[in-house]
Amino acid sequence: MKLESRHIQKLLPFLSLIVLFIGLSIATPYFLTANNLASVARQTAVFNTMALGMTIVIITGGIDLSVGSILGLAGLIGAMALEAGYPVAVGVFVGIAVGMACGFLNGLLITRLRIPPFVVTLGALGIYRGVALILSNGLPVHRIPPAFAFVGEGSLLGIPFVLWLLVICAVLVHLVLEHTRLGRYAFAIGSNKIASVYAGIPVDFHTTAVYAIGGALTGLAGMIEASRLMTGQPTAGQGYELQAIAAVVIGGGSLNGGEGSVIGTLIGAFIMGLLSNGADLLNISNYWQQVIIGSVIILAVTLDEVRKRRAR
Amino acid sequence: MLLELKNVQKRFGGVTALRDGNLSVAAGEVHLLLGENGAGKSTLMKIVAGIVGRDSGNMLWNGSEVFLNSPSEAGAIGIAMVNQESLLAPHLTVTENIFLGREKKRPLGWVNRRAAIDDARRIIDQYGFPLSPDMLVGHLSPAGRQLVEICRAIRHGSSLLIFDEPTSSLSDTETQQVFRIVRDLKSRGMGIIYITHRMDELRQIGDRVTVLRDGATVHSGNMADIATDQLIHHMVGREVDHIYEREHLPPGDTVLEIRSLSVESTHIRNISCSLRKGEIVGMAGLIGAGRTELCRAIFGVDTVTSGEILLNGQPVKIRSPRDAVRSGIALITEDRQVSGLALGLPIAANMTLANVERISRFGFLDLISQNRLCTELGKKMSLKAASVAQGAGTLSGGNQQKVVIAKWLFRQAQVFLFDEPTRGIDIGAKTEVFELMSELARQGAAILMVSSELTELQHVADRILVMRQGRISGELPRIDGQSPSQEQIMKLAVPDATPANEIAA
Repeated sequence: MKLESRHIQKLLPFLSLIVLFIGLSIATPYFLTANNLASVARQTAVFNTMALGMTIVIITGGIDLSVGSILGLAGLIGAMALEAGYPVAVGVFVGIAVGMACGFLNGLLITRLRIPPFVVTLGALGIYRGVALILSNGLPVHRIPPAFAFVGEGSLLGIPFVLWLLVICAVLVHLVLEHTRLGRYAFAIGSNKIASVYAGIPVDFHTTAVYAIGGALTGLAGMIEASRLMTGQPTAGQGYELQAIAAVVIGGGSLNGGEGSVIGTLIGAFIMGLLSNGADLLNISNYWQQVIIGSVIILAVTLDEVRKRRAR
Repeated sequence: MLLELKNVQKRFGGVTALRDGNLSVAAGEVHLLLGENGAGKSTLMKIVAGIVGRDSGNMLWNGSEVFLNSPSEAGAIGIAMVNQESLLAPHLTVTENIFLGREKKRPLGWVNRRAAIDDARRIIDQYGFPLSPDMLVGHLSPAGRQLVEICRAIRHGSSLLIFDEPTSSLSDTETQQVFRIVRDLKSRGMGIIYITHRMDELRQIGDRVTVLRDGATVHSGNMADIATDQLIHHMVGREVDHIYEREHLPPGDTVLEIRSLSVESTHIRNISCSLRKGEIVGMAGLIGAGRTELCRAIFGVDTVTSGEILLNGQPVKIRSPRDAVRSGIALITEDRQVSGLALGLPIAANMTLANVERISRFGFLDLISQNRLCTELGKKMSLKAASVAQGAGTLSGGNQQKVVIAKWLFRQAQVFLFDEPTRGIDIGAKTEVFELMSELARQGAAILMVSSELTELQHVADRILVMRQGRISGELPRIDGQSPSQEQIMKLAVPDATPANEIAA
């Protein structure tokens, strides 16, 4: 019986999502329409994709504050490749590669310099943004082939293409976390780094790999953002790192490491997406939206903490 | 009576932690509180110290009924708990730690440093502690930190002190120091409740004793009237040979050999020793003698600056724990919660941690065989857990230690370095850990066992190495099946005793 109530508590984010969904369906007739839901999917795709990467990073007990800047830099360089005439697939690949390289560099600095991830990625946040501004001279990249719009705005079998991308990424990240050595090591490092070192786990290698994967997903998110805007904006993604972290945390990830899941993160990101969409539909001002989302973050983590304390 | 508890009960959720707690403590006595982990000792003490409230039963303080709602209420009537040293702030001074949370204030809320230092000095001088008020607590030895904890507890003139395993991390000399203080406090008319797992301490310190088992008081009386065996019988509720006896078999070939090993970052100098197949080598020494550091050096945690390590006759380079693990060396650290277990992860994940390769193919995990292998392993070790999916952090100390050992069995290690393997686990589990170690030895593992409990070493070890100030000061074999005496061991362990080469075997 005790176990059951614990399970219900664990399901709380999911239940909140359902309640929010039903509540919004009743509150406004504009919510439950194919158009609106597709637009929610598109809006949240960027955060969702980033948050998937952030999930693995947070599970290792790390954090990446530079993802907003990585998103900007990756989207910009990807867009530049498109402008230079490369096919869409290559452009997207360039964006992912740039993101991966940035994440890899973060991981390398964290493991080589033995400096806390918070500090390294705080510095990197400035560096990557600066590099994007230097490369572009502060100007957006516009001349992008129209076909690129498909990535962010197109549909496949009646479902937004970004949703396909998201599902594929989510399944892959879930597989990595639960069914691969890398995922197992990520949990171990986050749960007890010293014990992991003493168990002979190549901690530095896997830590770096995790940041690189997080960077790659952020690079993909950068290309989705670029496609939605049809520009490569050197300033894109400012403040997104907080959204990504919030999604992970609402979904049960712990900033102390060792905890987090793909499904939780997706729920967290969708809760934030629905809140913002619902607030728009209900004509709640943008200013209030920030207050609401901020409160939800604190509330979600408080409830999760209470649950964990009881389980102990 | 200073303190009397009658039929005290306490439930946490669906779990009854205490169903019939009885205890009476007089002024000027040391009252031992014994019981296995989970017997209800901590709950009973939390009730006395005002940390949790009781559900029913009586608590009389100097004859009148009290109900304490917080530790500060307990402090106000004169009950204080001496916490384990880990609750101190290492970056603050002795004075600041003593008055932490109760800072001496001037008007406007400024902290009155001078008054605090004076008060701290007064307390320190009163008991003749070797402390200075402005030392940083982080620079103190474990015993020194224990003294700071005692100062904290007595800063307001308490009349009842609760000591919760004060000597679990102390060497024998340091333990004697704590005993002296406890006796001194007693002679000043204080009542003292003393919790310990170390059976050798009982007679040295205790006047009366209360034994808890399964949440109820099962025995209470004078120490002089009861034999240790009977006490153990009360604690575990069954006959247990309180000291583990193992069969000492002749060892095989040398597995691990260390030649003049030195570690510059520590005081480890010129260590030579060897471990043979099927042998358990004990390692004695005072805290700070370098035993843990030696284990760390062999395991590649600290960089070896000179000397050689040979495995099965072949020199090996061990630059990291990873190298050590790959060469078949296992380190079971003294603090399993800090460096042994990923407490948040399931048992299975912990058991397989050092050898995930064994359950993965091309980087993908085979969770089915993981669970099967871990369940088998758990059964073999009589691990008490609902399933291998249970979180490691929810297990008792003894079962956590089994999971740590299981991790290295799963790795099929051949050299085991056990650093204080029985620290903080109860008697029943200790015996099981010794059984596991003996079984390992029988199967051909080479084992080094660091321990501060001499009786343990005497009974379990095939021979005993003694360390002193970073060097091996001697080796004591069993002679005609007789283990070396505690005096022999201590002679080698205490600094400035007879020169090493005169005693070394």
